[in-house]
Amino acid sequence: MPFNDHYVIIGNGPAGNHAARTLRKKDKDAKITIISDERVPYYYKPKLTNFIADEIAKEDLMVNFLNSYKAKDIRIRLGQEVERIDSESKTLFLQHMEKINYSKLIIASGSRARVLPAMSRYANHLKFVTSYTDVMAVKEEIRKAKDFFIFGGDLVGFKFLRLLNSMGKTVTILIYPNAFWPYNLTDNMLAQITESLSKFKVDVIVKDDISIIDDKNGLYRVKTQKGIEKNVDMVFSFNGLIPNIDFAKGSGVDIDHGILVNEYLKTNVDSIYACGSCAQIYNPSIKSYTTSIGWPNAVVQGEVAAFNLLGDHKIIESVGRKYFDLEGVKIKTIWWEDIDDEV
Amino acid sequence: MKKNDLYSKEEKLFQDKNKIYSAQSVKQIVYSTDVRDFGQVAKSIPCQDACPAKTNIPGYIRAVFEKRHGRAYELNRSANILPGVLGHICSRPCESACRHGEPDNGVSVGICHLKRSCSDLKSGSHRIIEGLYAPTEKKVAVIGSGPAGLAAAHDLSILGHKVVIFEGLEKPGGMLMYGIPEFRLPRDLLMLEIKNILRLGIQLKTNKAIGVDISLDLLKNEYDAVVVATGCVSPRKLNIAGEDLKNIYNGLDFMKAVNEGQKPLVGDKVIVIGAGFTAVDCARSAIRLGASDVSINIRKTIEYMRIDETEKYEAQFEGIKTVSLIQPSKIIGNGNKVIAVEFQRTRMEKTDTPPYRVSIPIENSQFLVPTDSVIAALGQTPDEAVVSKDLDGLDGVFAAGDFATGSSDVISAIAGGRKSARAIDEYLIGEKRKQTVVRLENHETTDRQRSYDFIGKVEMNTIDMEERLSKATNEVETGYNDDQAHEEAKRCYLCNLEYEIDPLICIYCSACIDVAPKDCIKMIESVPVNSDGTYGIYEETDDWNNVVSIAIDNARCIRCGQCLAVCPMDCISVTKTELIEIDT
Repeated sequence: MPFNDHYVIIGNGPAGNHAARTLRKKDKDAKITIISDERVPYYYKPKLTNFIADEIAKEDLMVNFLNSYKAKDIRIRLGQEVERIDSESKTLFLQHMEKINYSKLIIASGSRARVLPAMSRYANHLKFVTSYTDVMAVKEEIRKAKDFFIFGGDLVGFKFLRLLNSMGKTVTILIYPNAFWPYNLTDNMLAQITESLSKFKVDVIVKDDISIIDDKNGLYRVKTQKGIEKNVDMVFSFNGLIPNIDFAKGSGVDIDHGILVNEYLKTNVDSIYACGSCAQIYNPSIKSYTTSIGWPNAVVQGEVAAFNLLGDHKIIESVGRKYFDLEGVKIKTIWWEDIDDEV
Repeated sequence: MKKNDLYSKEEKLFQDKNKIYSAQSVKQIVYSTDVRDFGQVAKSIPCQDACPAKTNIPGYIRAVFEKRHGRAYELNRSANILPGVLGHICSRPCESACRHGEPDNGVSVGICHLKRSCSDLKSGSHRIIEGLYAPTEKKVAVIGSGPAGLAAAHDLSILGHKVVIFEGLEKPGGMLMYGIPEFRLPRDLLMLEIKNILRLGIQLKTNKAIGVDISLDLLKNEYDAVVVATGCVSPRKLNIAGEDLKNIYNGLDFMKAVNEGQKPLVGDKVIVIGAGFTAVDCARSAIRLGASDVSINIRKTIEYMRIDETEKYEAQFEGIKTVSLIQPSKIIGNGNKVIAVEFQRTRMEKTDTPPYRVSIPIENSQFLVPTDSVIAALGQTPDEAVVSKDLDGLDGVFAAGDFATGSSDVISAIAGGRKSARAIDEYLIGEKRKQTVVRLENHETTDRQRSYDFIGKVEMNTIDMEERLSKATNEVETGYNDDQAHEEAKRCYLCNLEYEIDPLICIYCSACIDVAPKDCIKMIESVPVNSDGTYGIYEETDDWNNVVSIAIDNARCIRCGQCLAVCPMDCISVTKTELIEIDT
């Protein structure tokens, strides 16, 4: 009986899907499985705010439907969480106690919303717009609510603020300079953003911090350290993303902020690759590790990881926009260290 | 409080049912010295095995559950003479080993928080229990009043010897007093537990530094035995250019200054170098001294930091950044004042020998980070200029704690001190007077419910950032209240209860296997014996023809009690196992 490889990809975002697609193109016989802890097929995350505003339907949010996986002979396991990796036996342990063996593995598990340590005690009060599940949990509530408090202020946060403004909601935003963790906004950038926000109907708070968030009769009282008090219907946290990599701890794969990979997107463990925003990639030109965000970066990294897994030696390079525009301020899409000086 | 008040109506019903299902109810106690029993205890109770002092962790957690906090405190104190102190600052090797933290089982039990609750919640009129031996008229000098010295002094005093502690500094406690910040360890608690040791009649002589005020030779002549427990106080240096500039501190001196009430000048921007508890203590202290931009800089990745998750979390909470995969290559000064550190990037590499993963510098990857001060917290070594580490051939001179083993942690130092005390006692008396045995006792119930397995960890109460900064010594963690401790105690699997199937009664119905939530009940064909005489890993079989027994693997069992409840033959027994010390 011929031996066919089983390529397993953890993550169903752009990096994972493009890795799977590339693998299938290059290896017609291999078994390919994508595992995702979300319960929906591949969807376009940047359009989640449009979905909240009902500008697009659920179908428009989807990049792939279930039949498109089937057409490419890619097995998709939705709503299944990887709990740990045994790299010795090449086994994945899923939360529901199933084991999956792989011959080669690509980790493309993306990122999740960062909850500031100081805010973790209020985690139950906070809402996020990071995933389809997050959005489905709050979509209806957003429509009904009037008063909102946003703290942090990353890219999605400002997009969400504009959305709320267009829906006629009352919004207060407390901007954290390190919402783009680990990138800190300077005082000049903060001033520029505050100025830019003046065109919206929004209360902007800077250089302050949350002191208390409490819940009274379905309303939230947010009090800042400088004594500003707001009673709102919903509190949203937008403080950047952190790599989703807990399941890889103890597997023997080197982990720092993200999964450490070389310029070929290979980890220190044979047969395991990582790509997308969960990967911390060695960049030989700056002799340091960088992490990336953005759809185009994830797509290219997924493809490069797949090529290299199949024996190629492609070096990853950043693609797409190098900067996002944050209310007039340029924010790098590849960071952790400076890539170049052209801000 | 009546014991029954601890349980809800449903819980009581469960217990009653369980009693019916219990295999045996006649209380029998066996004291075993069989190596197989020691092996079984080590395998079955991973938290206790990981604890250098072998603290009876399930035993004291059960006492916390029963709200017998005094009993819980004494169970702790029988292994570790500073339970309250360790409840605040232990490095928690037990929690890393806790079976509740294994994949699929959730999060480790807050063992250390529960240890603290024994101390916090015990009655104000709690009585310390000491099993005193008759006086021996032997005199022992203990050099150093850190955790190892205190533990050795305590145990030697219990054994009837007259003990004098010589401490070089003004106050006793060693690293506990001078190395750990007060916001983690309140000094009144430390002094209370030290005084409880000294109450045995131990004489404490402070400001008596070995090599300065007293000599080892003198002590050796005047005392029947001498214990050197001077710890590790010689800081490791960075060994890079610029290290002697102003505003560059070593971690230990920095913490000592802070703990003596001084305010070392740190400026706004502070670079801390090091990956252990001292590095985090220095960084958090710098925040309290007014620094606004504090970073901890490490050569390897964050996962290799030698601190527990709580410390990582607290550092992050206080706004301290951790910068990984870099190492300092030069310190730059302006005049004699530091202005920047030149770092070099590193990357992880594999080695064939321990530690298997190392960081190596990347050539031509240097970069500068401006700073106002640098704190190098790279660990310490024994100060051999004062006492030579080579004590061989010095009759009656023993080493204990970090001085003997190199820099470790407080609980290891205490365990080391106790071990030395035993060796010294044998040297002085000429025979072993104490031995450790496994106490085995039939136990009627499982003491748990399956629902306890799904209780989330009760987080420690802490003060907010404003309060932390308002006074540098304000204690950050404020402890569990009575109900929180009770709830967290429910989560312990009580791995000291060992479950066993009697193969002579078992009818091989496999009902227990069907209800087991883990792969903990196995059909086995043989039980290998390790070279040290302990039992090895069960050899399983799927072939009924080869099955010699159905056995419970206590190293996998989460003590849910389901098997006990369904067994139609009542052939599963529960035995409470404890490591205890008895007279020989």
